[in-house]
Amino acid sequence: MILTQTLSWFLAGGGVQEGHSVEQQGSSEPEKLGSEFIMHHITDHKVFDLQVFGIDISITKHILIMWIVSAMMILLFGILFRKPKMVPSGLANFFELIIEYLDQEIMKPFLGDHSRKYAPFLLTAFFFVLFCNLLGLVPGSATATSNISVTAALAVITFGMVIMTGIKYHGLVGYCKGLIPPGLPIFILPIMIPVEILGLFTKHFALAIRLFANMVAGHVVVFAFLMIIFTFKSWAIGGTTLLFLLFVNLLEVLIGLIQAYIFTILSAVFIGMSIHQEH
Amino acid sequence: MELLTPNLGTFFWTAVTFVLLLVILKKVAWGPILQTLAERETRIKEALEKADAAQKETEEALAKNQKVMDEAKKEAQDLLNKSRKTADTTKEEIIQKAHSEASAMLEKAKREISLEGEKAVDEIRKQTAELSVLIASKLIGKTLSQKDHQDVIDDSLKQMELN
Repeated sequence: MILTQTLSWFLAGGGVQEGHSVEQQGSSEPEKLGSEFIMHHITDHKVFDLQVFGIDISITKHILIMWIVSAMMILLFGILFRKPKMVPSGLANFFELIIEYLDQEIMKPFLGDHSRKYAPFLLTAFFFVLFCNLLGLVPGSATATSNISVTAALAVITFGMVIMTGIKYHGLVGYCKGLIPPGLPIFILPIMIPVEILGLFTKHFALAIRLFANMVAGHVVVFAFLMIIFTFKSWAIGGTTLLFLLFVNLLEVLIGLIQAYIFTILSAVFIGMSIHQEH
Repeated sequence: MELLTPNLGTFFWTAVTFVLLLVILKKVAWGPILQTLAERETRIKEALEKADAAQKETEEALAKNQKVMDEAKKEAQDLLNKSRKTADTTKEEIIQKAHSEASAMLEKAKREISLEGEKAVDEIRKQTAELSVLIASKLIGKTLSQKDHQDVIDDSLKQMELN
């Protein structure tokens, strides 16, 4: 899987080979190149330069991946769900199962009667994050969700949804008042007001960081294991590492699923909290 | 560090992509499927309710049938008992009647027999008296007048009765 990707990089004169050929120069050399290799595969790269009013809005690899994911989602769900059958079959059945699960486990418990209104957002968020996570495991592609800008944008959209929901149900003043728990003594208020406002931002900041960090960490581990193979160049160590690599890759599938679920459930919780402020 | 530096362009494109995706999917996929899921839910609920109602109805009909059958059985039993009772009483009555009739007839017959017997005895007495008078008159050779004749008979009869 990822081997082909690494191999192509390797044949193109990748860092480690050079590092080994000039081993005498110092042991820090391959390490540096190794970390460069990892960074190269995790960070984003420009594909097409684009500047508007002096702002760099170039199309990068992660953006392309997101577009591929979006196209896949529109095609897949468009074909499956545009004219839904009363009795589903095949793939539609499978995805309906997931949607029903999310509906029962996330939307109904946290949003109650309002779940129908927020279902499209939560479903889009879940499948978008999930597909980005999973597509990131395909060799040659990249993980858009391991880009802090991408997760930040998603978290900001959730933040916007939360604020809009709060203002819609309680009004601007009512929502701001509701942020502070009622019945507090007045002398605590100077502490509580900044804490609550900060908390509002921290929650969504954490939402972005959690997804980003989880996806980066997984890929760093994957590439680090790859580096071990090419550093030691030994069949025994390489074979063992390959097993570990397989394990970590499978773990990545699980983490991709869990992180998509967590992102969705937390979004639902935050929206639910701004509907029912008293809790 | 490049990894942790947010890129405004990527941020912008992500937001645009996500919002567009949300709008398109809402129209193309989530709207119809959520509608269908809700419809399916109500349909299943309705079907279950209908099934429950049908079962209830069936049970009620069964209970009704059972009741009717029980009633019919009871009625038949009652009828049987009643007719048995009637038959018994009728039988008893008939036997009683027959008995009483028989005894009445017996009584009557007995009475008649004794009456006849008395009559016969009376006749015999009368005849005997007449015969004896006749024999006696013949013996004394004189025909008693009718009046004497009657007197003698009455006397002798009286004497007999006295005996």
